[in-house]
Parts: sequence; C-alpha cells; structure tokens
Amino acid sequence: MAQIEIRDLGIDYRKPKSNEVFSAVDSVALSVEKGEFVTIVGSSGCGKSTLLMAVAGLVSLTRGSIEIDGKRVDGPGPDRAVVFQEASLLPWRSVRGNVKFGLEMQRWSGGDLNERAMQMIRLVGLGRFSDYHPHQLSGGMRQRVNIARALAVDPEVLLMDEPFGALDAQTREIMGTELLRIWERAKKTALFVTHDIDEAIFLADKIVVMGRNPGHIKEVIKVDLPRPRNEAILDSEEFHELRKRLRAHLAEDMSSMQLVQEVA
Amino acid sequence: MIAELFYRRQALVLGTLSMIGIVAFWQIAVDTGFINPFFISTPSQVAVEFMAQFEDGSVATNVAATLYCFAWSLGLAAVVGIVLGMLAGWFADVESALEPFIWFKYSAPTVAFYPLFVAWLGYGRPTIIAIAFLFALTPIYANTLSGIKNTDRDLARAARSFGAKPLDIFLRVALPGSVPVMMAGLRLGVGRALTGVVVAELFGANAGLGYAITYYGQLMQTTKMMVSIVIVVVLGVLLTQILSFLETRTDSWRVDNNR
Ligand SMILES: Nc1ncnc2c1ncn2[C@@H]1O[C@H](COP(=O)(O)OP(=O)(O)O)[C@@H](O)[C@H]1O
Ligand SMILES: [Mg+2]
Repeated sequence: MAQIEIRDLGIDYRKPKSNEVFSAVDSVALSVEKGEFVTIVGSSGCGKSTLLMAVAGLVSLTRGSIEIDGKRVDGPGPDRAVVFQEASLLPWRSVRGNVKFGLEMQRWSGGDLNERAMQMIRLVGLGRFSDYHPHQLSGGMRQRVNIARALAVDPEVLLMDEPFGALDAQTREIMGTELLRIWERAKKTALFVTHDIDEAIFLADKIVVMGRNPGHIKEVIKVDLPRPRNEAILDSEEFHELRKRLRAHLAEDMSSMQLVQEVA
Repeated sequence: MIAELFYRRQALVLGTLSMIGIVAFWQIAVDTGFINPFFISTPSQVAVEFMAQFEDGSVATNVAATLYCFAWSLGLAAVVGIVLGMLAGWFADVESALEPFIWFKYSAPTVAFYPLFVAWLGYGRPTIIAIAFLFALTPIYANTLSGIKNTDRDLARAARSFGAKPLDIFLRVALPGSVPVMMAGLRLGVGRALTGVVVAELFGANAGLGYAITYYGQLMQTTKMMVSIVIVVVLGVLLTQILSFLETRTDSWRVDNNR
C-alpha cells in the first residue's frame, strides 16, 4: 500500500466577510510510495500550498480524505514535518535553538536534544553557525536551518512549500543538489511544491502537474533520470523532453487565465 | 559601524554641549541682570543649595520617599498591565471587555481622579501610588496587548506544524516575540510613573520631591525649589536610560536593529 493516499480531496475556503464559498482544490487523488520524491508544479494560485497544507494537517478538508500509512490525517503529527517558503524561524533563537524547537514540541525522548540538533545542523552543512541567529544568516542558510529543523524530528514524510522560492537562481540550484544529497541519506518520502519547471524535474521521481479553477491534478509524470543526480542531467535529452511537456502545460494555464481576464 | 559610532558620539557631544550652553546662558542672563533671579534662581546658587540639602539629609529623605512610591506604582502597573495585556492580546473577548476602560483612561485626565482617591485612601502614600499606577498602566497594558496580538502568523503556523498546542504557542512564540514591545511599554511606564508620583505629591504629601517643590514654591524660595526640580529631571532621564538600555538588550535579534 502507498504511504500517502489522497482520495477525492476537496478544500473550500470561505471568502472573508461575504459568505461565498470558493473551491481552492477539488477532486484530487494521489498516491505516494514510501521513499518517493514527488514534486508538485503549477502556476501560482492553483492550490499547490493548499494541497500541501492539507497533508500537513494545517487546513481542514471539505471533502475526501488523506491517509498516511493507513492513518487518517486530522491535524499535524510527528509523522510529518514542513519546510515553509518564508524562513519561519524564531528570530530570537539561535540556529541550534530553532532546530531544537520541533524536538521540544514533540517531547523527543531519543536522547540528548543538543546532540540531535547538532547532528542535523552538521548534516545541512551549518556546523560552524550553530550559535548564529537567523538575522545573521543568508536566505539559503536560513532554509538549511528550516530543513534541519524538519529532519530533526525524524518524520516519515517531508513536506516542502517552495522552500527555495525566495532564493536567487544560483543559490537555488546549489540548494537543490544539496537537498538531494540529504534526501538520499535520510530516505524520507518528500512532497515538494515549486513553480520552477527545472527544479520540479531535477528533484522528482514523479511530477504532479496542477491546473487551476479549481485546483486539480492535470497529469502525473514519472521521471526516470538516474540517481544520484547532478547538474549534468540538465542537458540530457530526457530532461529537455520533460521540460517541453511541462512548459506546454503551464502555457495552457496561462492562456486560460488570459481568457478569463478578457471575459471579465 | 564606525560611522554609526561616530554619529552616536557626535549626538552625545552635541547634546552635552547644548545642556552646558543652556546652563551657562541661565547663569549669565541672571548675572547680567537680564532676568530676575527671584523667578529662576541661578545654577551656582542651586548647586550650593543642593550641597546644603544633601548634607542635612533632606535630599535623601525626599528622593527615598519619591522612589518608594515610584517603585510601588511601577511594580503594580507592570504586573497588572502585563497580565491584563497578555490576556487581552490572546483572548479577543477580554480585549473587548476592557476596551471601554481604556478609552475612558485615554480621554479623562488621570489627575481628575485625585479627589476620589483622597476620599477612599486619604492623603498620603496610598493615594500617590494609586495615581501614579494609573499614569503608568496604559502604555504597559497597550504595548503588551499589541505585542501578543500581533504574533507572527507564519511563526505560529510553523509551530503548529510541529505539534505545538495553543499554550506552547503562547509561551514559546507569542511571549518571547513580544518582549521588545513590552520593554518599550515599560520604558514609557517608568517616565509616567515618576510623573504621576511627583504630580500627586504636589497636591498632598509630607515628604518627596513633589512635596518639596510645592512647599518651597509656596514660600517663594525659588532656589530651594529648583534643587528638587533638577533632581526630578535627572532621575527621570536616568531611569528612562536604564530601561532603554535593557530594551536594546532584549531586541538584539530584531533584524532592523542589527543591520
Ligand atoms: N486562507 C485562505 N482563505 C481564502 N482563500 C485562500 C486561502 N489560502 C489560499 N486561498 C486561495 O486559494 C487559491 C489557492 O491558493 P494556494 O494554495 O496558496 O495556491 P498556490 O500555492 O498554488 O499559489 C488561491 O486563489 C488563493 O487566493
Ligand atoms: Mg503557494
């Protein structure tokens, strides 16, 4: 059985003030195998974050269900950890203090908290910076802390919402390679939201392409590029093919958006 | 960094120079007969009188009396303001329930309650403390309230994703995030508590700096009165500076503070 099983998922938001209901995600079905790296790609506003937050247990479901290892999701749990786009680190805590946060919340009992935190900090390559505060770090370093904090609680599933979205192109590429290195060692199931096509292909075993109005899954594409991966695959024939296919999807979305605007 | 240090040094130098300038102007204006010393005394006379009052112990007595009321009123205002502010910042219903009192406090001058407190508590320290407490309460309450209420939603959500319960979020996200704003409230509260004590002492007391000011004021002994006024000013600056210092210590993690 798959590790994550999403069935007929629908999420409605009530618009503030008016009583209008607006469907952000509808009829989404998806299975993710244990250890799989799944990227979710789509134009902005198509419900990627909503879907991910639903798996995290941070938004409530209107229809359908999400199961993880056969257990229904009805709130956050120690089997999942989230890396958010905005750094979302506690600014008054040091790097180590931040990495310890999740462990404290889950009353972690696997030995010394400091030890565990330092281990994760070294894993993401920030060993020398454990006493720094977030405002002393670059954007890329802050996201490494976020990843360390999520990995520290040893979740089954790692949920990432455009974690490199605010970084420049070069840092982003480095972080992608780094993330794969870490993921290959930690062997976690990963759900990774992005709107960057190359990033989506580079990381994925499986790409979920989403469309809008309401957010739905347009296609699920398997990626068979060999691992471990490095920048060289960006020039491979298969990568180009996938890129073309994803471009076509997103272009379709764009033109349907323009149509809506022209009508309105 | 160096430019900043230079700028701070420069600000300090300029501030000191302008103070010296005013004191010198005050002395010269009186010496040359430009101003009648009866209204304002002179710095040299005030200095001599200060030494006299210092030696006969009345400076110590008055400062002690004022600081006693100050400490009580600030302490009470801090406890009540922070506790109510935290409750109101966390529970919107508590904020709504307290709202009318806050508006009342903002629009009605606190001294107007003086006779009422005298009726309840009599002349003397309890009344002085009560007035100064009310003076200091508002900024402490208001800042604590806004600090807790404006807790970063993204941080709260991240905490929730790790299984934080509401109490965890309050203690580990909302509260530490509010400390700098609360310290700013306390700094304002310090100034207001001191003002409150001195104002209340003007009306009715048997010791304290405010008492000394009215006492000598009524006797038209300007020099003796100026001694206490100067002490109040120095105390106010000193106490506020201490709090400013503590404030910068607590918000060193703020981005705009260190960059
Ligand atoms: N809390 C919310 N309340 C109301 N509408 C929301 C809320 N969060 C997101 N939305 C709307 O739902 C849609 C999907 O948003 P989101 O999941 O953030 O998309 P994406 O992450 O793909 O950009 C958008 O139209 C957005 O405006
Ligand atoms: Mg999003």
